[in-house]
Amino acid sequence: MKETGHTDTALEVRDLTRAFGVRKALDGVSFDLPRRAFLSVFGPNGAGKTTLIKVLTTLLNPTSGTARVLGLDVVDDAVEMRQRIGLISHNPLLYPDLTAEENLLFFAEMYGIDRPAGRVNELLEAVELDHRRLDLTRTFSRGMLQRLSIARALLHRPEVLFLDEPYSGLDPHAMDILDGLIAQVRNDHTFVMISHDLDKGLELCSHALILARGKVVLFEPREAIDEGAFRATYRSTVGMGVS
Amino acid sequence: MASASGRQFRAILRKDIVMELRTKEMLMSMGLYALLTMVVYFVALSQAGSEFDPRTIAAGLLWLAFIFTSLLGLNRSLVHEKDQGCLEALLLSPVDRPVIFFAKVVGNLTFLLIVEALTIPVFAFLFLQGHALESGAFSLVPLVMVAGSIGISGIGTLLATMSVNTSGKDFVLAMLFIPLVYPLLLGAVTATNAAIVGGPDAMMVFWQGMAWVAGYDVVMLLASYGLYEFIVGA
Repeated sequence: MKETGHTDTALEVRDLTRAFGVRKALDGVSFDLPRRAFLSVFGPNGAGKTTLIKVLTTLLNPTSGTARVLGLDVVDDAVEMRQRIGLISHNPLLYPDLTAEENLLFFAEMYGIDRPAGRVNELLEAVELDHRRLDLTRTFSRGMLQRLSIARALLHRPEVLFLDEPYSGLDPHAMDILDGLIAQVRNDHTFVMISHDLDKGLELCSHALILARGKVVLFEPREAIDEGAFRATYRSTVGMGVS
Repeated sequence: MASASGRQFRAILRKDIVMELRTKEMLMSMGLYALLTMVVYFVALSQAGSEFDPRTIAAGLLWLAFIFTSLLGLNRSLVHEKDQGCLEALLLSPVDRPVIFFAKVVGNLTFLLIVEALTIPVFAFLFLQGHALESGAFSLVPLVMVAGSIGISGIGTLLATMSVNTSGKDFVLAMLFIPLVYPLLLGAVTATNAAIVGGPDAMMVFWQGMAWVAGYDVVMLLASYGLYEFIVGA
């Protein structure tokens, strides 16, 4: 394993560009994020938020520029990096024809988790789905799927958690569970969350970033943010109302 | 690392088999399609008259059925992964891309071979009854089936991964797959034909066809292995 403990930076992004044909979804994005920070990423649809997360989670290769997560390069050290990151998306990322338990045990095998049954039990209890462990996930409600998705993402105890609109489609109970789980691991994890909800994003974050047309419009630590000015910048820059 | 890859390979393969045994989507659709193709062949050839020897076209008919049946299965094998973003979850895990590729190839190969094993007796019953077959040569047909199916599964899995994100994935897969599988078809039909029709040079022709198929398998598996990482990250 690479020596990455010496750096106190969780994310180092330099001139990151990702193009699809002639269209640049990310255009020269640069920022640094310290460890144990919570970054909220805002921007309108098509701003490049999901592409940014996909590049940072190794799902897409950058066209140019570099990105390092925990000191590991997203291209050269991808396999090692994936062991240390997790993603909660608005998509559940679960197999509908496997049971809740089978889904978690499958991913536990993929991550090489020791004593997977114990870890799976612990997480199913944490997301209050232990009573549905033997049910196929295609029978689950949206909220239940999202809760199980949270368990899947936390299975291997990732150090950096990427959240792509994690509250989307959640019922209030599922939102409370997600809030509780984030609060539990908040102090020793780094978070990167995409959100359309300015209130929620600003409430949780230690840093905020606004993306528009693939470029960074604003990147500031929370304490430097004047909320009124931030909302005005968000509205004027991206040309849309605040949710 | 090798043991981790082996564990991940087995996990993906087991997951695909469990899901298929639970839903039977691929096996049912591929099996029914192959069976219906046999019925269509039977009806189409029923007026050919007693002079016509179906052994002369049997190899071509069989491989035509296998190629189109495999297209159906290949499409479905990746559609499972696209449901609810499962492919993303798989790609997010610390697994080398070739491990995913080979697990998918072996899964597709298993299902294709099961369907082929069920189709050949039906085909023989409908078309080859009453026609002399050299039992020694005919017993080599399963060997061609396995070798040909390895090539189909290898290149098919790569192309299905490429096409699964396109809007007309069924059409795109067929358009890419059929031209690329043509060389394999040539060798497989030659070898199968030699095994079914027989004759003095049958064994030599059979092994020439098999060598062609084996060469195709090696080249396509290596090319697919090399390209898979690029394709899933593109």
